[in-house]
Amino acid sequence: MYDSWRHVVKKRKKKKKSRPSALFTSDLLHLHPPQLSQEAGLSQQEALEVLQAVRSGGGGASVSLTALELLQKEAETRSIVTFSSRLDAALSGGVPVGKTTEICGTPGTGKTQLCLQLAVDVQVPQCFGGVGGQVVFIDTEGSFLRQRVTDVGGAAVRHCSLLVEDEEQRVAMTTFTVEDILSNIFLVHCFDHVELLAELHLLPDFLSDHPRVRLLVIDSVAFPFRRFDDLSQRTRLLYGLAQQLSAIATRHTVAVVITNQMTTRVRGSQSQLVPALGDSWGHASNIRLLLQWSGSQRLATVVKSPSHADATVQYQISSDGFRDTDQSGAG
Amino acid sequence: MKWDQLELDPRIRAAVRRAELRRVGDVLCVSALDLQRSTGLSHSDVQRLLATAAGACRRHPLVPAVLCGGQRELRLTVGCPVLDGLLRGGLPVGGVTELSGESGAGKTQLALQLCLCVQYPTQHGGLDAGAVYICTEDPFPVRRLQQLIREQSCLRSDVPPSLISSLQFSDHVYIEHTADLDSLQVCLSRRVPLLLARGLVRLVVVDSVAALFRSEFQADDWLERNKRLLTFSSILHHLSQEFTTTVLCINQVTDVFSRSDSSGPLSSNMSPALGLAWSNQVMVRLMMRRLQRTVVRGDQSSALRRLEVVFAPHLARDGRDAAVWREGVGGVCSSDTET
Repeated sequence: MYDSWRHVVKKRKKKKKSRPSALFTSDLLHLHPPQLSQEAGLSQQEALEVLQAVRSGGGGASVSLTALELLQKEAETRSIVTFSSRLDAALSGGVPVGKTTEICGTPGTGKTQLCLQLAVDVQVPQCFGGVGGQVVFIDTEGSFLRQRVTDVGGAAVRHCSLLVEDEEQRVAMTTFTVEDILSNIFLVHCFDHVELLAELHLLPDFLSDHPRVRLLVIDSVAFPFRRFDDLSQRTRLLYGLAQQLSAIATRHTVAVVITNQMTTRVRGSQSQLVPALGDSWGHASNIRLLLQWSGSQRLATVVKSPSHADATVQYQISSDGFRDTDQSGAG
Repeated sequence: MKWDQLELDPRIRAAVRRAELRRVGDVLCVSALDLQRSTGLSHSDVQRLLATAAGACRRHPLVPAVLCGGQRELRLTVGCPVLDGLLRGGLPVGGVTELSGESGAGKTQLALQLCLCVQYPTQHGGLDAGAVYICTEDPFPVRRLQQLIREQSCLRSDVPPSLISSLQFSDHVYIEHTADLDSLQVCLSRRVPLLLARGLVRLVVVDSVAALFRSEFQADDWLERNKRLLTFSSILHHLSQEFTTTVLCINQVTDVFSRSDSSGPLSSNMSPALGLAWSNQVMVRLMMRRLQRTVVRGDQSSALRRLEVVFAPHLARDGRDAAVWREGVGGVCSSDTET
């Protein structure tokens, strides 16, 4: 990508290019012809020719796809199952790869549990219908406890070992143990928003080096941002964060799962529970899941999704992880 | 983090100085376009600057979870095998644990017991350090602590008596009294970090959190109260993560009149004070209730209590019956009789 632009343009134009900081073709991509002609001392026509040569020389990174190609690509990438068949049905397969999913809920509803379940489920081998990928888990609250991951991982391994039918699956089970599950989760604890932003900035390079990663979890994205005095700066940072996440999701075919807290919004004399981080954050994710209690039942609602209807399902959290409730209703 | 500590092109360094970006973290909080505009650097220079700044600001790289340090998996025992079974080993380090309950439920008793449990070595469930106990309402119950120290060998029958007698318990419990929010802030930002940094303490108890926040704010000041609450809880969270300590906050309860669906199945008609803003900051929430029955063990009798897990990332919603004895708080076992 970083072709030295000596190879692209003729010597005459090179001599006139006096701006010392533009050494790579990627610098020129961001300029318009009038700008380039002004700064390099070229005529408009010459500047236009230089830019056309740079762009056709493969200096750009954007590739255009037709809608049919996109549809085929989407059909090929599997979703990540949640092990709760009702929730998977509501999401038509599970948490989609290449999109951003947000999980909101008050404390204790199971957001971290669902994240841990997904971190284990993404590693289920492909011969069992899983994605067979790795996970990047960014923990901001300190709630990633190995004890719990071992529980959930162990249950998934037992579940899969009961399903073994042929040789391929038997071989896959030898590399699907609790130890392997833990070694495929790349974990980092971020204590404040600066560390989180730094981690996200360095993430694209990490993902390029580890192409097997299919899931990025940030638990939770709200925690470092609740304590912000300057709300307009917070909105700007969150907007930038949302763009970065969406870029990571599409460019590296990764499912991005973020958890959010709830806050009370007071309107006149009525108060209502809404997801934290403001109204504009609502646009950051493709899919929004709301986890809540209703009496003694746990309910998961698909609140926002471009491809699914709003649906509410019941779930439970057992020692094995995130599951459907029994039909008897014992939540 | 200072700019001098980073390896930067002198041209980039000069541009950063011109743009008056004092802290390295500030660079990450500004969009790339704004940076280009304020520093006058080219796109690739700005990317290089951001990459250097990001590399400097992150504390740890991404590591596989299997290699992550065992420090975060330590548990502080409560001193009773029944209650430890409920908590799967004890209180976790590196997060805020909340213990709420009505007055007389036994919260202070449990906190005092933890101040002694923390001083045992790690193979007996302690963290090999002392505790700092911050009182915000009642004065510290010194005599009860002395009684608990005397009865330790009775409570901790799993520990060799020679070890128990060799530990100087009262020397390692640091007591602070803070009467208002400002002095609590000072205590948490100056004195407690000093004790933690020297490794003298690995348990911080705040008894109680609600007292100061409820008394100092009027009903309409809830915005200001939430702001102070968030500042306070982020200091606690930061201390617990930075020094891998257990932080225990004791909270009061408030009555619940209307069963709003957000609170989960309530086993009683009470919920912890300070609302949703505080709940969002808590990692493990425990509740202690006082029941109507009494329980007898030997020559002692005590009102029956119940310790319940409301939520925790690694614990199921469950509870155990417990009682407060002369030697401390203990779970009810089969040999005790209820009346």
